[in-house]
Amino acid sequence: MVQIQFFSLIRMLLKRDAIEIPWADGDTVQSVLEKTQQQIATPFLHKLLDEDGEPHAGTIILVNRKNILHLQGQQTPVTDNDVLAFFPPGAGG
Amino acid sequence: MDNGWQGKILRVDLTAGTCKTEALNEEWAKAYIGGRGLASKYLVDEVSPDVEPMSPENKLIMATGPLTGTYGAANGRYMVITKSPLTGTIASSNSGGYFPCELKYAGFDMIIFEGKSAHPVYLQIHNDKAELIGALHLWGKSTKETEDAILSEFHGDAKVACIGPAGEIGVHFSCIINDKHRAAGRSGVGMVMGSKNLKAVAVRGTGGVKVANPKAFRDVSLEAYGMLKENPVTGEGLGALGTPVLVNVMNQSGGLPTRNAQSGTFEGAEAISGETLASSYLKRNKSCMGCIISCGRVTKLSDARYEGDGEGPEYETLWAFGAACGISDLAAITKANYICNEAGMDTITAGSTIGCAMELFEKGLISEEEIGMSLNFGDSDAMVKLIEMTAKGEGFGKKIALGSYRLAESYGVPELSMSVKKLEFPAYDARAVQGMGLEYATSNRGACHVRGYLISPEILGLPEKLDPAETEGKAGWLKIFQDFTAVVDSAGVCLFTTFGIGVPQFTKFCNAANGTDMSDEDLLEAGDRIYNLERVFNLKAGIDPSQDKLPKRMLEEPLPDGPSKGDVCKLDQMLPDYYDVRGWGTDGIPTETKLQSLGLA
Repeated sequence: MVQIQFFSLIRMLLKRDAIEIPWADGDTVQSVLEKTQQQIATPFLHKLLDEDGEPHAGTIILVNRKNILHLQGQQTPVTDNDVLAFFPPGAGG
Repeated sequence: MDNGWQGKILRVDLTAGTCKTEALNEEWAKAYIGGRGLASKYLVDEVSPDVEPMSPENKLIMATGPLTGTYGAANGRYMVITKSPLTGTIASSNSGGYFPCELKYAGFDMIIFEGKSAHPVYLQIHNDKAELIGALHLWGKSTKETEDAILSEFHGDAKVACIGPAGEIGVHFSCIINDKHRAAGRSGVGMVMGSKNLKAVAVRGTGGVKVANPKAFRDVSLEAYGMLKENPVTGEGLGALGTPVLVNVMNQSGGLPTRNAQSGTFEGAEAISGETLASSYLKRNKSCMGCIISCGRVTKLSDARYEGDGEGPEYETLWAFGAACGISDLAAITKANYICNEAGMDTITAGSTIGCAMELFEKGLISEEEIGMSLNFGDSDAMVKLIEMTAKGEGFGKKIALGSYRLAESYGVPELSMSVKKLEFPAYDARAVQGMGLEYATSNRGACHVRGYLISPEILGLPEKLDPAETEGKAGWLKIFQDFTAVVDSAGVCLFTTFGIGVPQFTKFCNAANGTDMSDEDLLEAGDRIYNLERVFNLKAGIDPSQDKLPKRMLEEPLPDGPSKGDVCKLDQMLPDYYDVRGWGTDGIPTETKLQSLGLA
């Protein structure tokens, strides 16, 4: 299984903070994003990705706490028991 | 005047009890923009860098920028400039709310306080009439009580900036609170105000601010509004979750300093997160004057142990009284926040100092007998009690009131203070975010996040994503961020607008307001000038480049957990680059050539 954690506006939108997705050989961040959306009725991917399917400036997607932008982007491989965290653009200070 | 300025400074001689109006130095206003930059120029010109911060010879300047009070983006900031009693550096603490615009509407760009009153007073401004009023009846009152009393006796629509009891009794990190909940927070500017027996400034202004080119100003305002509204951070995220959204972001990133920065992740983060706050004590969000971002948190406690209402906690406060102290009790953190706002204390230094004291206690360096209670990490009741004692100047609270550096130093372990130049760093671990380590080491007021917020590119990916573990190139990024921040502060605009708008919009704003024809490069050069002006003041004040450093923990103790496990901050790889891109010598001192190029020689 893959653990998905929702944060910020996505959590408020979905009213849930986590979900589990069955893992399959060959999974990537992109395929997990698609499978996650398929399991949830409420559309949420637009909070993370633009119309071309690219992350918005400021979107944070972590695989085991590492930002995919410093891995292989949405092609980052996902393995069984990985933890993915989804943050829409946010800031503070 | 028709150029963003009112053209008037109010000079208040507290020793003589006089208020005089003088003309704004427009030549300086052009070179130093306004606010932080312009007031720093006045301070440098009028106060010796070796002045004793608590002496009457130190001055306290409240300054607006040329955009303060205009309708542009979030144009309602003012700054308090003085020499800091906490750090010995030049201080500039910045706040929003409604007070800053009201000061401008009364017809003043800046107030310079000098000397010391023989007895407590407050300054009352009603448009062009300014006078000092006896404040003995306000002395000892909280910031809320002070504001309510002044509104009752002066004018119901007045805006008030004041100190609480902490500023009166010499808490080194006391701040100046305006509009009850907004703080010119860091560096102990409230302590200087208290040393002058100045309790408050109350202002009622009914004028406006005129700009040089109304059409151009309207055009850039519409452009900026559109960008801020469409940007997911400024248009939605900050309003919904406020700054506390960062608790989970930083914890997941392994950069949430926990238990006095002994680790970078906190197992209790979720309980003190922005998401949890939004589903518990948050009642609504709130704007400062004319702001469409609306990041303020209006909260009310509903907890059997603690009561109260107010604004906050913000992210830094959630960290300071939370992760820094190993506390996951949101009610206790919120209560500590309220106490700080009412007493007038900086929550970052307050929480970080208690976290430091907790480590000293657990290491056996401070006894239970000396504190009057046990002080283990995670003990939220003890934390709240100690904040109350600090605000009242009671018992061990008197030691907390010194800040973490002086506290740790008094027990022979200054290295356990997580500070630079005696200012505690905020809620980002330099080992997990290398560029922020460089910012802490080089910021002109000590370990500060809002002088060059590299968290934006390194963690948040704005305007583009940088690898937080990389050191290469961070010096160049930091210089641009520091110079641009100096511009934003000096203009009188909220730094949060920069998540949505950038240098081109600020150039247009300043040109339209001031009637100037600056390029983007000219504007950033003004930021560079301000930064170097502050640096030179600090050098003359004895804060030499050897102070551009980090606590040993950041440099030598690898992070024990999180995605940056095993990392330390590699400051030595970045600092020489930083001096180089700043045009300073390898010794960290601005060269004569550099100063001449900025008109500072």
